[in-house]
Amino acid sequence: MANPFDVIVIGGGHNGLINAAYLARARKKVMVLERRHLVGGAAVTEEIFPGYKFSEFSYVVSLLRPEIIRELELAKHGLEILPLPSTFTPTLDHDYIAFWDDHDETRREIYRHSPHDADAYDDYGFQMYQMAKAIRPILSMIPPDPAALSFTELRRLLQLGQFARSLPEKTIYQLYKLMTMSAADFLDEWFDCVPLKGTKTASGIIGTFMGPRSPGTAYVLLHHYMGEIDGAFRAWGFAKGGTGGVSEAIASSARALGVEIRLSAPVSRVIVRNGRAVGVALENGDDLYADTIVSSLDPKRTFLKLVDEKELPDDFVDSIRRFKTRGSSGKVNLALSELPRFAAFESLVRHNDSAAPMRALRGAVSISPSIEYIERAFDDAKYGNFSQRPYMDMIIPSLIDPQMAPPGKHVMSIFVQYAPYNLNGGWNDARREAFGDAVINTLAEFAPNIKSAILHRQVLTPWDVEEITGLTEGNIFAGELALHQLFFLRPAPRWGSYRTPLRHFYQCGSGTHPGGGIMGAGGRLAALEILKDEK
Amino acid sequence: MKNNFDAIIIGAGLNGLTTAAYLAKAGHRVLVLEARQALGGTAVTEELAPGVLCDTLVGNLTGFDPRIARELGLSGVEFIGADPSVHALQPDGAGLTLWRDVGKTAEGLRPFSARDADKWGAFVERVARVSGFMEALYAATPPRPNEVKSESLWTLGSLGLKLRGLGKTDLYEALRMLPIAIADWMDEWFENETLKGVLAAGGVTALMQGPLATGTTLNFMHRQVYGGGVIRPTRYVRGGIGKLADALANVVRARGGEIRQGERVVRITLKDDMATGVVLQNGEELAARRIGSSADPHTTFLDLVGAYELDAEFVRAVRTIKYRGANVKLNFLLDGLPTFHNTDPSLLRGTIAVNPTVTALERAYDDAKYGSVSENPYLEFTIPTLADSSRAPEGKHVMSAWLQYAPYTLKTGDWRPETERVREKALGILSRYAPGIESRVLESQVLTPCDLQETYHLREGCLTQGAVMLDQFFFMRPVPGWAQYQTPIANLYLCGGGAHPGGGVAGAAGRNAAREMGKG
Repeated sequence: MANPFDVIVIGGGHNGLINAAYLARARKKVMVLERRHLVGGAAVTEEIFPGYKFSEFSYVVSLLRPEIIRELELAKHGLEILPLPSTFTPTLDHDYIAFWDDHDETRREIYRHSPHDADAYDDYGFQMYQMAKAIRPILSMIPPDPAALSFTELRRLLQLGQFARSLPEKTIYQLYKLMTMSAADFLDEWFDCVPLKGTKTASGIIGTFMGPRSPGTAYVLLHHYMGEIDGAFRAWGFAKGGTGGVSEAIASSARALGVEIRLSAPVSRVIVRNGRAVGVALENGDDLYADTIVSSLDPKRTFLKLVDEKELPDDFVDSIRRFKTRGSSGKVNLALSELPRFAAFESLVRHNDSAAPMRALRGAVSISPSIEYIERAFDDAKYGNFSQRPYMDMIIPSLIDPQMAPPGKHVMSIFVQYAPYNLNGGWNDARREAFGDAVINTLAEFAPNIKSAILHRQVLTPWDVEEITGLTEGNIFAGELALHQLFFLRPAPRWGSYRTPLRHFYQCGSGTHPGGGIMGAGGRLAALEILKDEK
Repeated sequence: MKNNFDAIIIGAGLNGLTTAAYLAKAGHRVLVLEARQALGGTAVTEELAPGVLCDTLVGNLTGFDPRIARELGLSGVEFIGADPSVHALQPDGAGLTLWRDVGKTAEGLRPFSARDADKWGAFVERVARVSGFMEALYAATPPRPNEVKSESLWTLGSLGLKLRGLGKTDLYEALRMLPIAIADWMDEWFENETLKGVLAAGGVTALMQGPLATGTTLNFMHRQVYGGGVIRPTRYVRGGIGKLADALANVVRARGGEIRQGERVVRITLKDDMATGVVLQNGEELAARRIGSSADPHTTFLDLVGAYELDAEFVRAVRTIKYRGANVKLNFLLDGLPTFHNTDPSLLRGTIAVNPTVTALERAYDDAKYGSVSENPYLEFTIPTLADSSRAPEGKHVMSAWLQYAPYTLKTGDWRPETERVREKALGILSRYAPGIESRVLESQVLTPCDLQETYHLREGCLTQGAVMLDQFFFMRPVPGWAQYQTPIANLYLCGGGAHPGGGVAGAAGRNAAREMGKG
């Protein structure tokens, strides 16, 4: 009996959908099974409070691969990215630093703090850009297996070697430094200005369980810098209709290619026969069969929950168990009766013009006054507490896309770090609220009117993130972007090429290379590998 | 100024002497200039009191490539491999012991954790195999990453084969181990907090990083290279570690080389971007065909050569080398052996770790991160006189302790008032395990990171001439582009711990540098 589907993709997050779309493009009959009532995984827009729509989890877009946008014709399917042009960092002494869309304006802001840094900033931007460009091919490269002796693997190693040799020696050193240094040390080599370093370093620690002084955090600086490159949208952006807009566009493209997406269809288990994945069992008792099964869930959920351990080699199971997925961040979503008024606005107006505060609110607002501020926030977390004064990254989507909130009202999305998954004593309602209070109290130090402006508040701890999205331990990258978990070590040695120890079973989520962010590379590359295996 | 010497070596630490000995053995006319009177650099033995020998700084020679002793025909050096290698004191009195023998250690671990005891053998084997690979890495001159010279390719190729020769599992483990934080790595292996702590302490040795930091497993492995497969080895030299420097110096002299002590080099003379000789503090100028500096890169390039002689980018790279000393060294002369709880003295022959746990280490680091000496520092000490009674009159004992973390740069800006406080702090901690120990102290010596810099020429009190961190490792050491012991100044070479593979592996950099200096 022929299976009604060639491929079943478990999970309708962006990677699962992209994977399905690419397979359907190659004329496969594909079914996507999504546990929730909507597609998107961690990239969803939900009306949490009547009239107020939130990018509930992931809230900015920048890394989505341009070839995916092109090949899946996402623009035709409604993808629209609205630019998020600036970053505004208020400081505790009611001053600020701002990075504007306009290069000269930014330069003037930095010059005000440090003439040296204003000069260094251009050089820094140039070098980071060059490095991001240099490393870009790796994002579309299948990681080689350095221990394998097969022809294919040796060829991949050779390709990697040739790629490395094609880079200028200086770039290799710089890249290596980025991979191995702490964001703090790396930025100390460039800059003096305290809030500048605080804000830059923040992008190095997002989603990690490390502080800015931990070696290895400089790499994430670059990971986030990649967003600056590609033609589709130069800088960070906000999807029209919230982040769910990205997922809807991909889903629409997938459907147009013939993919069937079944919602509210949680998978309980992968059916394995003789070392080969043959189908999936749904929680409702249905069994569905297909030639190929793909999981877009994180590696722990995929291999430790969906697959019977006995079907997998012991050392592989060990590797997956020790794959680090410590969630470190939370989210606070606010419905506001009025916009926050930062104490630093006075200084902002003085140094710019009366329109500057509104311009600043249209971009990102970063609570990262210094490296030490963030390091101390991490100190709380490493001993199992949430930060009393956390690092926060905020956007107010209703200023960019008025459909997100009722007229005159606003929604604000606050990414908060650190909130450890393994909180001392575990998370509960009281601790969730205490965490929310710490966030609001800290914010009130910078924007005193915030408390009276709040109409509704949603606080999401790593436990909530795990509960709702399924991401193990609430890790937003489906596995930490630590040096020992990248490239051919992601998610486990020997299995960096989207294949798994089970025949006809593949993985395509953010837990695979290159991982993290709404990038979609895993979904696409996995599809290409699946198609290759079929030949 | 005549070309009197084939080579002048600046600094008579173990690396400088090793370079000098290899060159002298190869027939070069060598002159070694040492600023201090004593030989050995960080590996120096001095009198703490009349008739009492003390390894002032480093006393535990964890790693020493046996080829150096063989190739140079060193004599008069007797190593004492302390057994146990480490004993960890715990507040409840139940100490945990790492013996040289794998089975004995495992049995000792069993009462603490049967699971850990079962895994010990596999752990030791894994460390031994990966450190075997690192031994090959440490004896090689780092290649340039994208150079297509046959020599570089040969090095890369043979290291690659060696790496692949580890076998799949070990290869992947080696690749994972180097970047992973020692705390995470320990969690993968063990469950007992003290066992994890005593190994994690090895990951932060002489490093201004907590055990949660990426790359601390590399530092742990750094201390395992040439360690003979013993985990956290403790190895003394009979009569003091200075005997090793003496033996190397004897080779230099026997081969016609000259060693001048108390002669401080203040400048390296250049002609047309080539090093031609050195100028001493007394104004004397000496010429040589080649100069090898075992001083740290900062001293070598910015003090002895001068920033204006060098490319700005190179100078910037040298300036951003991270040194960041993390330790205070304390040496005590005791009028008898203190009683540590009810610990059998035979357990105290190696390194004694005071209540090591990962959390305590990380908390101790937190204070230093913001510029203070740890409120509750980590202490590790040895009583070398237990293993080598020749060092002190009968009944007397030398106790040498490392206190961590003590940042070179204090928030207060002044180390002087801290010195006595640190001594009291150390004795206070020790007295919890050995009540009354203060009253046994006849002499004490406290060396802060500032003292290490001023007296022993260790920049920022760093024992390894640049922290052993991933971004300062192998082809990145001392600075990118110059990991082949040569420098932008022709005929000037680096031969100290500032170069690959770094300090803490006695003579390895010196041996490699001699090979490069002897070419052409």
